[in-house]
Amino acid sequence: MADDLILDVQDVKKAYDGLEVLKGISFGLRKGDTKVLIGPSGSGKSTLLRCINHLTVPDAGRIYLNGHEVLDDNIDAMRARMGFVFQDFNLFSHLSVLDNVRICQIKVNGATKEAATQRAKRELERVGLGDKADAYPAELSGGQQQRVSIARALAMDPDVLLFDEPTSALDPELTGEVVRVMQQLAAEGMTMVVVTHEMSFARQAADEIIFMENGHIVEQGTPDAMFTDSVHERTRAFLNVIAEHG
Amino acid sequence: MDIYDVLLRDFPFLLKGLGVAIVLLAALLAIGFLLGMAICLITLYGPKTRLVQWPLVVYERVFRGVPIIIMLFIFFYGLSGIADIPAFTAAILAMGLRSAAYQSQIFRSAFQSVPAGQMMAARAMGMSKVKAIRHIIFPQAARHAIGPWTNEFSSEIKETSLAYVIGVVELTRQAHYIITSTQGNVLTVFAVVALLYFILNRAGNSLLYAFERKLAVPGFEK
Amino acid sequence: MQEFISFGIQWLPELLKGVPITLSLWIIAITLGFFLGLALCWARVYGNRLFYWISTVYVELFRGTPMLVQMFFIYLGLPQVGIVFDAFTAAVIAITLNSAAYQAEYFRGSVLSVPKGQIVAARACGMTQWQAIRHIMLPQALRRVIPQWSNEAIIELKFTSIAYTIGVVEITAIAYDVGSRTLDFFMIFLWAGLIYLALTSTVASLLGWLERRTYVPGVTSI
Repeated sequence: MADDLILDVQDVKKAYDGLEVLKGISFGLRKGDTKVLIGPSGSGKSTLLRCINHLTVPDAGRIYLNGHEVLDDNIDAMRARMGFVFQDFNLFSHLSVLDNVRICQIKVNGATKEAATQRAKRELERVGLGDKADAYPAELSGGQQQRVSIARALAMDPDVLLFDEPTSALDPELTGEVVRVMQQLAAEGMTMVVVTHEMSFARQAADEIIFMENGHIVEQGTPDAMFTDSVHERTRAFLNVIAEHG
Repeated sequence: MDIYDVLLRDFPFLLKGLGVAIVLLAALLAIGFLLGMAICLITLYGPKTRLVQWPLVVYERVFRGVPIIIMLFIFFYGLSGIADIPAFTAAILAMGLRSAAYQSQIFRSAFQSVPAGQMMAARAMGMSKVKAIRHIIFPQAARHAIGPWTNEFSSEIKETSLAYVIGVVELTRQAHYIITSTQGNVLTVFAVVALLYFILNRAGNSLLYAFERKLAVPGFEK
Repeated sequence: MQEFISFGIQWLPELLKGVPITLSLWIIAITLGFFLGLALCWARVYGNRLFYWISTVYVELFRGTPMLVQMFFIYLGLPQVGIVFDAFTAAVIAITLNSAAYQAEYFRGSVLSVPKGQIVAARACGMTQWQAIRHIMLPQALRRVIPQWSNEAIIELKFTSIAYTIGVVEITAIAYDVGSRTLDFFMIFLWAGLIYLALTSTVASLLGWLERRTYVPGVTSI
């Protein structure tokens, strides 16, 4: 493995009931990279993302974060270094926004309450929700909830952020605010893997786009290359469909 | 002697009986809480082997399927064969173990009504399973459980009266003593006793409702 | 164990004589309680102020006090004002009145859970208020209430054992009697417990079957 990779995914495989969902996926990220995973539903993108932090345990393959292998033994420590943003936010519903962003800093990273509060407020400002610290998740719109969940992940000071279709559960008019936050993070040099159907984001913020289908990586390249002259028929067909409907 | 004089004279006995009922209630609820929580946690998060799970299923079925009077008799006569145990202790055990069967079910459905995503998000942030249960799942489950738990509290208050059958001198038996010793006015004595239970129940419920409101989180569905 | 079985063979026939008494006590009481409960629910949901208050006070009183005290009140207390019942009738009345209060609350919750649009739609296609309730609301409300109603029915089945305290010769009373004759209370109450367990399990499966039989997607869940 290359030493300067923050995240190194090597030949990850996963099957459910004999059905191979991931047929050996490899890719890597350097610090500051934004990679966008695209592909039709059922292509294995979300499974791949979940395999990276063992929310789904892969059948085979290795995953390295900063040169350390992600294993069941060290999984909690590894997950603390990888932010995960869910499609349906999963904010802790009994905690205020501030507490959502604080709790894992305190309980997992052992931060003091003061430090956690400061950090939480900073991250909430960063996603444009500094004024919502005392609100509860149910009092926020979907877009706001997703931005809180991004702040929650950022507050852990992660090496890499994993986004699992962060805008898919949102009403169309709310996706913009979340995409803007993600674009801003990419611009600031955050290392991110993003599963999304937001092609505008892919085109504008990705360093590399990975097109997956049927558990394989079909093709990968810069946005320019992928959108203008992708080599594979399948990639072009997918991008055309997305362009028409997305 | 007029019935009201009798009641006035004997009211301390009723209060004493009420005190016994309250201690019995507190003890059985405490046993039921600890054991019920343990059963719930083992059922949900413990080993899924039959050897562990089956005895728990049988335990719940038996304690929920047999009338408390029968359980009181079984514990009272069963334990007295082993050791010299007062009726009061037998009542605490029988009712506490039975309450555990009910409370475990209350806790279980409360835990299960916390969406799976909450555990997933907590684990994804690096929390261990124990931390996730403690800081994320439990606080939410507690809010789901408090309503049904209030019901359980109410039924147990009323069932303490059944400890009467094995001779625990709680409120209902004190009432009987007053009636038989004075040939007193049965209706009035029982009305007063009923009122005492009613007040105790109401007071307990109000406390629990207040607690529920204190825990309330905006938008957190019941 | 062998002793337990031979004891059972000897005394089980005696105990089983109590089963018809227990069951008839239970069936009569929950059936009467069903109709009284419906009436109380009706008064609380659709009634005018007076009916609402009467029904509310009734429900609160009977849910707030122990069944044992209610039974004593009826059997031992009422004769004082010239109202005398035999033990069985007194027990039926007590269980009926108690159960009606609980059933009314479950019915109410279930009636209120039927979406308002259902009645509006029924009225919009020309049904009278009564028709709308009878043909649209009730079938949905009754289906939804089955799980809670089943719990309530089983609780009352176990509560029939309280009738032993006023001398109804049902299972518990026979067990106690056999106990005093053999001086082996523990053994006979274990057997009585098994009988109750068999009864409650059977009733639970029957009601579970009823729930599945009446299942309608979207109205109820299994």
